[in-house]
Amino acid sequence: MFETALIKVNLEARNAYEAIEVLSHVLYEKGYVKDSFINAVINREKVYPTGLPSSGVGVAIPHTDRIHVKQSGIAVATLKESVSFFTMGTPNIQQEVRIIFLLAIDNPDKQIAILKKLISLIKKEDLLKEMIESKSETEIYQLLNSST
Amino acid sequence: MRTIHVLTVCGSGTVSSTMVAEKLKDILLEQGIQVKTVEIKPTEVLNYIEQGGYDFIAYTTPIPEQDKIPAINAVGFLTGFGEEEFLVEVQQVINKLK
Repeated sequence: MFETALIKVNLEARNAYEAIEVLSHVLYEKGYVKDSFINAVINREKVYPTGLPSSGVGVAIPHTDRIHVKQSGIAVATLKESVSFFTMGTPNIQQEVRIIFLLAIDNPDKQIAILKKLISLIKKEDLLKEMIESKSETEIYQLLNSST
Repeated sequence: MRTIHVLTVCGSGTVSSTMVAEKLKDILLEQGIQVKTVEIKPTEVLNYIEQGGYDFIAYTTPIPEQDKIPAINAVGFLTGFGEEEFLVEVQQVINKLK
């Protein structure tokens, strides 16, 4: 489910939208999403934010409707410095995020295994800490793939 | 096996609501409860409640106010950080159904 080509390590972004834009471009260039994807994700993020509450490393899982997706894929970024996301479910609360999983999901019913794996990943504090300390895309790829 | 019916709600009615639905099915199945879910958007909530047949709502985005069935915030459940609190609320709702 992960690919080294879809991972960005120590991404520098001034804010959440810039980070989403850079990551969306990666998915677009690799043919996973349509050009409408970027704006669709950002617009959705403004209405239905995706920052996930956590006790340690902040994670966000931006995504959008399937009509903007060509094939399923997940782009991953660790951020050099955290950016603020609004929190899912309580959109008046902001939180700092260091890891973004940008989801391109074309059919959630068929991607249940991927979504389940993601649930198990985002609650592994140790894994998330190792991720933000990783120095290369390959390192993050190996961390994600060896974790079940 | 006992079956409960749950509406799971997220912004697009796809990703987060499916994650919540699958996790809830797995956990409650261990307790001998079968969960049937429908994944919907916030704008669809009132229509589904009007149709009837659902025991509660698990949501990851704010939903319209209504007082027909209980609604539980499932964001913590999704992340694992706040999972216990969510499951306690679910249990309370299920107990009242009996």
